[in-house]
Amino acid sequence: MPVGRKRWKGPLTGSKGEMVTRTDVIIIGGGATGCGIARDLALRGIGHYLIEEGDFARGATGACHGLLHSGARYVVSDPEAAKECIEENRILRRIGKKCIEQTGGLFVRLPGDSKKFRDRFLENCERVGIPTQILSPSRALELVPQLNPELEEAIAVPDCSIDPFRLCLLNIVSSRRRGGVALIHHKVVEIVKEKGRCVGVKALDLFTKQVKEIRAKVVVNATGAWGGKTARLAGCDVPLTLSKGSLIITDHRLTNMVVNRLRPASNGDIIVPNEAVCVAGTTSVDVPDPDETRLESWEMELLIQEASRLIPSFASARIIRGYTGVRPLIKEECATDSRKISRSFKIIDHENGLISIIGGKLTTYRYMAEKMTDLVMDKIGAKAPCLTAEYPLEGQDELSGYPLSKRLADLSDIVCECELVKREEVEQTVNRIGVRYISDIQHRTRLGMGPCQGGFCTYRALGIIHNMGRISIEESRYILEDFLQRRFRGIRPALWGAQLREEQMVEGMYLRILGMGEG
Amino acid sequence: MEPVYDVVIIGGGMAGLMAAIRLGRAGKHVAIVSRGDPIVCLSTGCIDVLACGGNPLEAVGELPKTHPYRLLSTEFMMEALNDFLSVMAEEGLPYVGSPFENRKVLTPLGAGKTTCLIPQTMAHSTVSSDTRLHVVTFAGLKDFYPGYILSRLPTSEYSVFDAGPCSTLSLATRFETRDFLESFLSWLKGADITADKIALPAVLGWRKALEIKAVIEGELKRPLFEIPTLPPSVAGMRLHRALVRKALKLGVQLYKGRSVSTVEKAGRLVEAVTIEAPGRPIRVNGQAFILSTGSFVGGGLASSRAGVEEVVFHLPVYYPPDRTSWFGERFFPPEHPIEDAGIIVDKEFRPQGVEIDNLFVAGSILAYARVLRYGCGHGLAIVSGEAAASSCLKYLQASAEGYACSRTV
Repeated sequence: MPVGRKRWKGPLTGSKGEMVTRTDVIIIGGGATGCGIARDLALRGIGHYLIEEGDFARGATGACHGLLHSGARYVVSDPEAAKECIEENRILRRIGKKCIEQTGGLFVRLPGDSKKFRDRFLENCERVGIPTQILSPSRALELVPQLNPELEEAIAVPDCSIDPFRLCLLNIVSSRRRGGVALIHHKVVEIVKEKGRCVGVKALDLFTKQVKEIRAKVVVNATGAWGGKTARLAGCDVPLTLSKGSLIITDHRLTNMVVNRLRPASNGDIIVPNEAVCVAGTTSVDVPDPDETRLESWEMELLIQEASRLIPSFASARIIRGYTGVRPLIKEECATDSRKISRSFKIIDHENGLISIIGGKLTTYRYMAEKMTDLVMDKIGAKAPCLTAEYPLEGQDELSGYPLSKRLADLSDIVCECELVKREEVEQTVNRIGVRYISDIQHRTRLGMGPCQGGFCTYRALGIIHNMGRISIEESRYILEDFLQRRFRGIRPALWGAQLREEQMVEGMYLRILGMGEG
Repeated sequence: MEPVYDVVIIGGGMAGLMAAIRLGRAGKHVAIVSRGDPIVCLSTGCIDVLACGGNPLEAVGELPKTHPYRLLSTEFMMEALNDFLSVMAEEGLPYVGSPFENRKVLTPLGAGKTTCLIPQTMAHSTVSSDTRLHVVTFAGLKDFYPGYILSRLPTSEYSVFDAGPCSTLSLATRFETRDFLESFLSWLKGADITADKIALPAVLGWRKALEIKAVIEGELKRPLFEIPTLPPSVAGMRLHRALVRKALKLGVQLYKGRSVSTVEKAGRLVEAVTIEAPGRPIRVNGQAFILSTGSFVGGGLASSRAGVEEVVFHLPVYYPPDRTSWFGERFFPPEHPIEDAGIIVDKEFRPQGVEIDNLFVAGSILAYARVLRYGCGHGLAIVSGEAAASSCLKYLQASAEGYACSRTV
């Protein structure tokens, strides 16, 4: 495997005396696309900085189903996107074994669902190259016993479930090992221009409030739904349609295979098993602002109702949380329904040193990164082939707490009982990345991802950090309150039954036992 | 022969136990049906009467008129809280504090929790930022991190005692053995403590806690206090056990680990409840009934997407009708209208909106109680438990007289 040719050159002093760092390429955005570009650049030996406002996978990457599409979902409406999907599906299953669970998927046809659609589905799958297998209702029920027993038939496809956080982190491993730098919790406040060209960015460290200036030959805008906002910093425009999608999570797995409804794309027709839970979604609502991510109660009702059509026990399952993501879709002149907009992607060269990438999907992130990196290589006049499909993602063996069997092997000193995270893992994470937000630890260890949603273990994680002497009382208060407020935002739409009970207990714990908010 | 009780109490938490004790002291034949360990076992053991302002009983006047405290006079509340203090003193778990004064106890987060009556093992718990504290913890104790306390009390220090694998419960049990206490003491003496006070998680034994505290204080020549822990909370369990002991001494029959499966009514009276038991169900007859099953966490109320239900008698429950408004936008401060959910009662603590004469309601299942928002959980349990019991007594007397009357006619 190649190692980097160009290393980070260290801080230099800029014209006004401030610290300026130079590199070849700046990537704004730490979603799958941004992280994918970082890995691609690293494998081609190109120096780069990645700047992310939150943690990795903060936007649509982390707020999706966690589904590695076979492409079947798009095969009728958008065969080209479907073809990209199945090709990338094959590549990712090869290079990312440890962050993918090869669950397989079913497209389930219920009474009343169009037979004509089913015929076109099979025909197009054949044409695009998506392997299918037609299953009788009884065979389908053997595979997924919780399925609606009234199903007419099911078609098996190679859908998989994927962990988007880990996918991002693994891409970053390749980047870091070759001198790439990723700055998380840094907000790009300015795109620096000289003679009309974008030559760098100013990034604000959201924790220390320090501003860093970084200069590069090319600036890549991979900020997804925030693409328009980012481009405007350079006076450019990106034609985006923002489509909000909401999803809900159950407290356990109701299926071991991805379950889709065999019909034209509609609300709530995909259920994905992910680690110990299940994710069902989505909705599709056009929104004006990428930060508008409120899960409406009608969405919750609709998602439960639709998911229960596929898996009846969903109606009584415990929902532990809901969340929303905003899809950055390519704006089309005449599209009235954002579901009909192509899920393919587009690279926009603003011809001033800034290049934006929009659209696309998690499944095709690597391909998107490849195309973007090809263009970047052109721009900086370097030549090297794309290698991201050739080598497995690095760092997979060191994945924290993975897989479950590994976690079950040693149960001593467990900090998070829901996800079996050990004290040692929390300490290692703190030592490796420093402490800024509890969510950083959650993403890397799965701490707090279970039914209590961090109600208990957050106090422990923060206690460990305290005992390590890493943190002031102000920081501690800020981190805890920030976490609890964010957590509550996700839980709030799902508060009834057991989850409401647990929430009241957690509230009692923080307010009446720990005295949170008191001097 | 099926048992017949004067009063059957459904729910064996603070409210039910305080009601049982009052009734038992009045010579009544009482049964408690308790489904499991009550919320008091999860609590700090401290009695929050009303965690606003300096004087909780005075602050009651500022609560909304709908709050159940507003059904009672200051004198009654004071009397009930004094009853509680005397029960605890009799059971060897003395409490300190006055119903007219709030105080602060140090929490595992290093914060000062506002409360009112506290176990004597926490008496020295009020600290200021210049207090020099020596915090002792135990290796591997999952929910206790002295770093939290040290970050707020910078002149403090901590040390860790290695007692092998441990939990709060196992430590409490081991502290009651002489060997363990001695090895702990000799270690602690070697720690060369110069701080003003010693603090440690609430694990100093069960019934011998005060003795153990005195031994350590005597050897180390400085005051010591316990810090209440997250569940499993030894301090909360001590409180529960003391109340159960008292109730049993008064002849209260405790059906533990049992839930009510059916309720029998005749006209305006509840006559009996049937409880699940191994082998066959037990029918428990009563002259009067008290419902003290708690709110959502306690299990007295159950919510679904359709609404809120009371699970035993299916009494009418008040709750905010629109589910999307049950919770405020933010976790904190806790402005959550769902905390109003519960049973609305009249001045006698009888449920409103239903024609039953011999049923009374107490504790956090009462509507508009908002125990988290106001910090009034155990206080409300004590006073409403006693209030429901005293209404029960009045009812029993009236019905006995009525019965006598009708017989003479």
